[in-house]
Amino acid sequence: MNNSTTPVLDARGLEKSFCMGASQLRVLRGVDLALHSGEVCALRGTSGSGKSTLLHLLGLLDTTDVGSLHLAGLDCTKLGRTAAARQRAKQVGFVFQQFQLLPELDALQNVLMPRRLACGWSWWSRRRDEYARAKQILSKVGLSERMSHRPTQLSGGEQQRVAVARALVSKPALLLADEPTGNLDTQTGNDVLALLLGLAREQGAAVLLATHSRSLADACDREILLVDGKLEML
Amino acid sequence: MSLIHYAWSFARRRALLALSAVAIALGVAVLFTVLAVLNGFLAQFEGTMRDFSGDLTVRPLPSAWGGSQEIETYFDSIHSVQGVATVEARLNWFGLVGRRGSRALSDPRSSDLNGLLLVGIDDFDWKPQDDPNALPPLRLGHAAATRMGVSPGDTLEVISFQPRPGRAPIPARLSFSVVESFSSGQHDQDLDRALVPRSSLLPLTQLKTPFTELVIRVNDGIDPESLQTSIQEQLEQDGLARPSWPSVQTWRDNAGNFLRAVENQRGMLVMMFFFIVLVAAYQLVATLTLTVTEKRRDIGVLGALGATPGRIIRFWVSLGTLVSFFGVSLGLGLGYLLTSNLKSIELILGGGEKIFLPEIYQFEEIPVLIDTYSVALLAGATLAAGLVFSLIPAWRAARRPILQAMIRR
Repeated sequence: MNNSTTPVLDARGLEKSFCMGASQLRVLRGVDLALHSGEVCALRGTSGSGKSTLLHLLGLLDTTDVGSLHLAGLDCTKLGRTAAARQRAKQVGFVFQQFQLLPELDALQNVLMPRRLACGWSWWSRRRDEYARAKQILSKVGLSERMSHRPTQLSGGEQQRVAVARALVSKPALLLADEPTGNLDTQTGNDVLALLLGLAREQGAAVLLATHSRSLADACDREILLVDGKLEML
Repeated sequence: MSLIHYAWSFARRRALLALSAVAIALGVAVLFTVLAVLNGFLAQFEGTMRDFSGDLTVRPLPSAWGGSQEIETYFDSIHSVQGVATVEARLNWFGLVGRRGSRALSDPRSSDLNGLLLVGIDDFDWKPQDDPNALPPLRLGHAAATRMGVSPGDTLEVISFQPRPGRAPIPARLSFSVVESFSSGQHDQDLDRALVPRSSLLPLTQLKTPFTELVIRVNDGIDPESLQTSIQEQLEQDGLARPSWPSVQTWRDNAGNFLRAVENQRGMLVMMFFFIVLVAAYQLVATLTLTVTEKRRDIGVLGALGATPGRIIRFWVSLGTLVSFFGVSLGLGLGYLLTSNLKSIELILGGGEKIFLPEIYQFEEIPVLIDTYSVALLAGATLAAGLVFSLIPAWRAARRPILQAMIRR
C-alpha cells in the first residue's frame, strides 16, 4: 500500500437517489472515499444499505447525482456512456457474486474479452501477446487445464476464478468485488478470496470488496461500514 | 477473439438464428434461379437474333434521295470501317404462299392462306443459267413447314406484287422448290420466313438497288453499338446516307420492343422476388430483438467489461450480418443446385412431361445463364438488407442501461 501518492480512487460527497413511485429513496448521502494503489478495503453494510450502488458508481456503471469522482487521475463525474466505457475497460475490474461469465465462450475467451474491448483495432497486432497474457493469468488461478471449458462445464469456484482472472487481465487500477464469495462454500470462498487478493496485491490494484462477512473483511487492509448512506471508518 | 468470433460462438447455438438464415437462403435461391433463367432467355434470344439478323443492318438510302444503285459502293464503304467482319446483302419481299394447286391461292376465303417474308440471300448454290426450267430453291422455317405440311421436294407457289411507279402494282406468281426447313430458334421467325436466292426475287421487285438491307457482322469482342455511329458517318461521307435517314440499326434496335418487354419482365420479377428476400431478411429484426431480450444480462456484462455502445451495436450488426452471410451463401448454393437441375425439376413437377413446351416458349430446354454481376448484386443487396435490419435491435441493445440489463428477474 502506498498512501503518499495521489489516490487511484477519489470520491467526494457522492449522493444517489432512486425514484420509488412518488417518493425518492436516498441511498447514498455524501460518501467520501479515497483508495490508493495496492490498498485492499472491505466495504460492509447490511442488505440494502447501498453497497452495490456505491460499487456501481465507483465502477462508472451508474452516475452520481451529486459529488465528484476521480479515477486514475481522470475526472469521471460527468463522463458520457462511451467515455465511461473506455475508462472502465482500462482502469476497472469487476468480480460479481453471480460470476457473470459469457456462457457461449470458454474460459480463455471470457478472460480475453476485456482485452478485446480495451484494445480496439490494435487487438489484431497485439492478439498473440494478449492470448499469452490470458493463458498466464488463467494458469495463476489454477485453470491451465480448463481453458477450453465453457462456464457450464466448470464448478462455481472455477467460474469465480475465471471471473477473477477476467477482472485482473487488464491490470486495472481499481478492482471492485461485489460479494465475490457469496455463491461459494466457505472453503472455496476462502481459496478464491486468497487468490483474488494475492493477484490484486501483486498487480498493485486498489481493491474495494463489498461483503457481509466479517472474516472476509479481516483479510483486508482496512474496513469501512456503510450506514444510512454514509461511510464510517472502522 | 473478435466480436465476430463471439457472434459466431453465439449464433451457432441458436436454432432461431439458423432458421432466419434458412429463410434468407430460400429467398435468395428463388431469386438466383429466376435471374439465371431470365438472363439465359435473354442471352439465347440475343444469340439467335444476332445469328439471323446480324449485329447491324444498313438500309439503303432511297433512290429518289440519290442512293447508289451499286452494291459494291456500300460494301466498300462499310468495309472501310475498322471492326467490320462481314457484310451480306438481303432482299426482303412479302408474298402469299401455298402449295401448288392449293385452294389457298385462288380462294381468299380459305383459312389456308399464309403470308411469308421472302428473304433473298446469296447463300444458295443456284444458277438459273444451268437449267432455265429448274425452280429456284426455298428454305422454309420449320414451324411454317410443319403448319403447311410441306417437306423437301414439294413445290410452293408465291403470289406477290410487282410495283410500278404511279400505277397499280401487277400481281406476280412465282414457284419455288422446297429444299429444306430451318430452325432459327425463334418460333415466330420460323413461322413467317422463307429463304430464297436473292437473284430469284430481283425480277419481281424491280428495285433499282438490288437489296433492301445489308447485314453486318462485327469482329469478336466488338460491341456493335460502338460501330453504329462510325458506319453511319462513313456512309454519309460516301454519300450513301443522310443524317435524317437512320440507315444503321443494331440488332437491339431491330428487336427493341421484344427486348424491352423481356427486360421489363425481368425487372418486375426481380423486384417481386427481392421483396421475398427482404421479408426473409426482415425476420432478422424479430429474431434479433428476441435474442437481445434473451441476452439482456450478457449485454450488461459486456458493458461492465468496457464495451462502448458503438461496440455493442457492432456486435449485433455482426451477428445479423453473419446470419445474412450464411443465408446468402446457402441460398447461392441452393440456387446453383436448382439451376443445374432445372430439367429434372421440370420433369418432376410436370409428372414426367415438360412444363415449358418448346412450341410455346421457343426453347428446347430452359435456358440458364449465371451472370456474376447479377449474383454479386443479389448477394450484396441481401447482406445490406440484413445489416440494415440488424441495426434496429442493435440500437435497442446499445441504449439499454448496463445495470438494468445485468439485473435479470
